[in-house]
Amino acid sequence: MRTHERICRLVRLRLVVVASVASWVIAISISLGSSGLAFAQDVSSRKIAPGDSFGGFERDIAASQSSISDDSPNTVGTVVEVPGSLVRLYQRGGTPRTIEELQLLERQQQRVAALASSCTVSVQIGPAQGCGVIITGTGYVLTAAHVAMRPGKHAILTLAGGRQVTATTLGMNRGVDAGLIKIDPGQNGSQPWPHASLGSSDSLLSGMWCIATGHPGGYSEDRGFVTRVGRILSVRPDSLVTDCALIGGDSGGPLFDIAGKLIAIHSRIGNDVADNLHVPVVHYDEHWDRLVNNEAWGYLPGFKPALGVTGNQAFGIAQVVEVKPNTPASTAGFRQNDIVEEFGDAMITDFDSLKRAVADTMPGERVVVWINRGGQRMKLFVEIGRAE
Amino acid sequence: MNLAPHKFNRFEFNMRVAIVALMTCFVPLTCLAQVGFAQFELDDLPEGLNLGVSNRRDNGEMTALVRPVANKVASSVVQVVCGGRPVSLGTIVSSDGYVLTKQSELTTDPIRIRLHDDRLLDARVAAVRKSSDLALLKIDSPQGFTPIQWSTDSPPIGSFLISPGRGARTIGIGVVSVLARPVQHQGKLGVHLVDDSDGRARVQTVIRDSGAEMAGVEPNDRIVAINGQTELSGKSVVKRLSAMYAGESVRLTIERSGALLEMDATIRELNLMQESENDSKVNGPRNTRLSGFDRAIQHDTVLDPDECGGPVLDTNGQAIGLNIARAGRVMSYALPASLVIPEMTLLLNEARAAAR
Repeated sequence: MRTHERICRLVRLRLVVVASVASWVIAISISLGSSGLAFAQDVSSRKIAPGDSFGGFERDIAASQSSISDDSPNTVGTVVEVPGSLVRLYQRGGTPRTIEELQLLERQQQRVAALASSCTVSVQIGPAQGCGVIITGTGYVLTAAHVAMRPGKHAILTLAGGRQVTATTLGMNRGVDAGLIKIDPGQNGSQPWPHASLGSSDSLLSGMWCIATGHPGGYSEDRGFVTRVGRILSVRPDSLVTDCALIGGDSGGPLFDIAGKLIAIHSRIGNDVADNLHVPVVHYDEHWDRLVNNEAWGYLPGFKPALGVTGNQAFGIAQVVEVKPNTPASTAGFRQNDIVEEFGDAMITDFDSLKRAVADTMPGERVVVWINRGGQRMKLFVEIGRAE
Repeated sequence: MNLAPHKFNRFEFNMRVAIVALMTCFVPLTCLAQVGFAQFELDDLPEGLNLGVSNRRDNGEMTALVRPVANKVASSVVQVVCGGRPVSLGTIVSSDGYVLTKQSELTTDPIRIRLHDDRLLDARVAAVRKSSDLALLKIDSPQGFTPIQWSTDSPPIGSFLISPGRGARTIGIGVVSVLARPVQHQGKLGVHLVDDSDGRARVQTVIRDSGAEMAGVEPNDRIVAINGQTELSGKSVVKRLSAMYAGESVRLTIERSGALLEMDATIRELNLMQESENDSKVNGPRNTRLSGFDRAIQHDTVLDPDECGGPVLDTNGQAIGLNIARAGRVMSYALPASLVIPEMTLLLNEARAAAR
């Protein structure tokens, strides 16, 4: 009977996936008051200085595992030693062979979750809330591009226990949904931030076990971070699919392997509970310099932002030559000859600067636009659309 | 009907907070809803779906692995059937025929239970504990009833949890996501009330998709009685309603344009009324009642709504709790054994005292 049910579910799964809608795993929340939490008194951490490529952290289990215990703040990282009998499961994935092996796996999950607690952060940028994970003692935080939105944005991070710190968004590769944030300096005395140990994306296989943490539905002080465990279901260059169930608010949160190493960042979901997509950490490593230097580039297929006006760079001003019908611009009330002066936070000087400002938004984002129409300054509200 | 400007606006329990929160995030919520729900290209969807399904953490290999664990309670887990339809699981808690289950799913008579050995037996509700959403069922002349042995151990975050169904079949494998904590009661009728000039409750707004809207309640209706009992003030209406949980039915006596109307409305979870179509899709099927538990363990086991009421086991096969709700895509709730045991004791005492 159960088999029959399973088959039915499978069929349904296929149908759902064909018509699947993927959502950003972002949520809205209202930030709560902060309370202090003292981290770490000691420990020299492995620091990735600004500008460092972070290739250097890989495979340093031996270097950092010795001082890890479940209760110590993880200023030396999140790596947890893998017992010999679990090495097969760690390297190849699969099903534990015995209940004893299952319990060893469980022990890894418990230890990784305990360490993940202090480096998993809630990220609040304006009204939007997502997650991030601190990866260096100096305060670099990996997140999703759609959480960070644009370089130079002010963010509030909520750490374990409710302590809040300020941060600033850096660069982002929107093409894979990878974003970077840095905690503003001077907020932790001279102490390093508790942080995750970085893994690599090279050796990931379908069937491997993984641990996801985050703040589904937004940060909640009386709940705290939420742990999920699942397996890698598909490994693709730009994303991992797992059955670690995610939902709005989890975006930007960390995915760890069972040795406690960060392997990916939560990004988006489909309707089925097993359609959860994460950005592999290799994408942060590959373009580390660009990310640190505030570059933002690319867009996910179907996520290229569009406004719906044409102009001419040669004019020297951002004057609208044509408003295309049935576009965000026409809906917002743009007219021919309107001169765009401000687009969101960006001052617009010519048509190219308008194009850059539009490229820095996300489809669906609502932007306040100041225009000059026949000498009168006017405010328009536009909802960014998608390019065909 | 004029309200003095200073007149105190009274909200249904907790509604003031909820509405303030809604207003605060109304604009961005709409904005992000639009950001969020994009159709993805086909090639952006998981490939190798079959492979993916076979590697899921609760696949056949995994359920086979944990079968010996589930077997430890095999004869203590039953299926509860209401009006011919399976509605929940149940946990046998005494050899004299008592079974604990999720109260809010017991919607239709007759109630029967199906045992691990396929026997189908008549049952009746012997006692109810609304605050924990627990019901104690009684089966007359039980034979071979094996009560569950609870364990008050509290597995740490990340620990595997196994949810056995009837006959040792594992219905789900997940992990502890959050340790036991109070889960606030969010059941609402779905109206925003103000005091009318004579102090009675006047409906100012009706929340979309609420039980009030479905029942036909309209703005300016006056709620003059609840379940046949006259209510003279807005305050007492709020008090009566706030004691009701999602899934409960309430009879409202409404005064509209001088006429009296009777309406039956159902209390619903506030977050279900407020969620978008997309949220509803990604969350999947859930129970009617998802909140209002003194303490609940949050775990990530994927359960169907009719799979609550059974025990949840650690990897040693100890029953550390009882599944009480499928609450969303990332969460199921289980009452910890440390809460179930005293509740069960109260229920058993009450039922046995009544039977005497």
